[in-house]
Amino acid sequence: MSDIGMILDRIGRKLVTEVAPKLEGDYSGGHAGMSGLMAVMAGEAWDGAADRLVNEIAGMRGLFALAGKEVAIDQSPSMKISDLTIERNALAGYLIALQMSLEAREDDEAKSLNVKIWMHLMATAMARMPSPPDFPDAE
Amino acid sequence: MLEAELAEKFAAYAEARLPGARNARVANINRIHGGASRQTYSIDLAYEDATGPKVKGLILRRDPPDSLIDTERRVEFAAIKSAYGQRDLPVPEALFLETGNEALGAPFFVMGRIESGTPLNPFKINDVEPHRAAIGEQFFRHLGSIAALPVEGSALAEEIDVPAPDQCWRRELDYWASEIRTNARSPQPVAEAAIRYLERHPPPPAQRLSIVHGDYRTGNFLQDGEGTMTAILDWEMAHIGDPYEDLAWATDLLWCGNDQERAAGLLPWPEAIAVWQKASGCTFDPAVFEWWSLFAHVKALGIWVTSEKAFAAGENDDPILAWSGWFTHAAHELMLAMRLGPKHGAGG
Repeated sequence: MSDIGMILDRIGRKLVTEVAPKLEGDYSGGHAGMSGLMAVMAGEAWDGAADRLVNEIAGMRGLFALAGKEVAIDQSPSMKISDLTIERNALAGYLIALQMSLEAREDDEAKSLNVKIWMHLMATAMARMPSPPDFPDAE
Repeated sequence: MLEAELAEKFAAYAEARLPGARNARVANINRIHGGASRQTYSIDLAYEDATGPKVKGLILRRDPPDSLIDTERRVEFAAIKSAYGQRDLPVPEALFLETGNEALGAPFFVMGRIESGTPLNPFKINDVEPHRAAIGEQFFRHLGSIAALPVEGSALAEEIDVPAPDQCWRRELDYWASEIRTNARSPQPVAEAAIRYLERHPPPPAQRLSIVHGDYRTGNFLQDGEGTMTAILDWEMAHIGDPYEDLAWATDLLWCGNDQERAAGLLPWPEAIAVWQKASGCTFDPAVFEWWSLFAHVKALGIWVTSEKAFAAGENDDPILAWSGWFTHAAHELMLAMRLGPKHGAGG
C-alpha cells in the first residue's frame, strides 16, 4: 500500500473507531463515521485510480478503432488523475453516441460491436465499485 | 440558524398554533442524522393548556440550502396526510406546513413523533433477527396497503398531477433521465443505455393508479425490535403512479443486504409477492416487474448524481451525499451493466 493510501486508511479507521463513538447521539457523530468510512475507501481507490482510468481510456479507444471512428480527443498530457479524467469523460461522450448509432442498425457487425461495448461497460463498472469497508459497524 | 435560535422561534410558532397553548418552550432539540433531503429535528415541546402542563414529541423537517432530492415539502406533507389513519398504516400525523421563510428561515413542516422504533440499516439487515419474517410480512402488507389507498379525493391528488395509466412509466422515466442529464458531472454511458433500453421496451399501462411512496425501503421505516413496524418515513418523493414502482424500489438489491433469495432481504420472494398482492389487490407480472426493477436502478442513479453535484458544488456538505455519489452510484451502475449486458449478448 502506498503511503497516501495508508494515511487515508488510518485516518478513516481513527474516525470510525475512536472519534465517531465519542460523538454518539450528536449530529456530527454521523458525519464523523461516514467521513471515516469514505477515507478508508478513498485510500484504497487512490492506489488504483490512474490504472483504472488508463484502462478505461484504452478500452474506449480500442472500441472506436474497431468501429473505424476517428475521435478528435487529445491524449492526456500527463498521468495526473485530473488530466486522465478529462480524457476519459470526453471519450465516454463519444461512446454514448457510438452505441446509439449501433443500436439503430440491424446488421451483425453493429450487434457484435455493441456486445463489445457492453463488455467494456460491465468491466469498467466492476472496476469502479469500491470495496465495502470492513468495519463490523460499517453503515 | 443556530439550534438555540431555531428552538426559540419554533416554540413561538408552535404556541400560536396549538389550541390554548401558553408558555411553550423547546425542552429538547436533537438533529437526526441521515435526513439529507431535509434538516430533520426531534423536538420535545413543553407547554401548558387548560388541562395542565404537557410535553409533545414532534419532528421538524426543514428545507436545507440543497437536498438529496429536490421536492416540495407540501407534497410530502400531503402524502403523509393521505396515508395517516388509513388501513393500519404506521404513519405520523401531519401537523403544520409552512411554505415561506418567515417563521424559521426556510420552508418546513411538522409532524407528530412516533415514540418507539429505530431504522433498520439496509447494510446491517440481519439486525432485524429474530423478527425478520414478522417485519417482512408487515413491510409488504403496508406497501400493498399504500398501493390500495384511494387516489381520488386524497390530499396528495389535490397537490400534484394525476397521470393517465399509460403515462406513468413515461413520466417517471423522463423525469429521472432529465435529472441524470442535468446533474451528472460526467457522461453516463450505462445510464444512457439503460434509458434507451427502457424506452424501447415500455411496460403496459398501470393496472391501477396508486399513491406511490417513492422511497419505501429498508432504512426508511422504524421497527421496535420486537417484531413491529412502528413508522413509515420519508415521503418526500411521493407521487401518483404505477404501484409496481414502489414494489421494485422496495426490493432493489441495494436495500436487500445483498440477499437475492429474500425480497428486501426480509421475506422469501413468493411470500412477499403474495402478501403484496393480497394487500394491494394488484396482480404480479414478472415481465412488468422487470421493467420497473431496471427503472429503479435508473431512478437511483438520478438521485445519486444529484447528490454528488450538490456535494461537489458545496451547496450541502453532508458526507452522505458524497457516499451517495460514489458508493451507491457505483453499485447501481454495476447492477444495471450486469443486468443489461446479457440482454445484449454480453457476458451472462
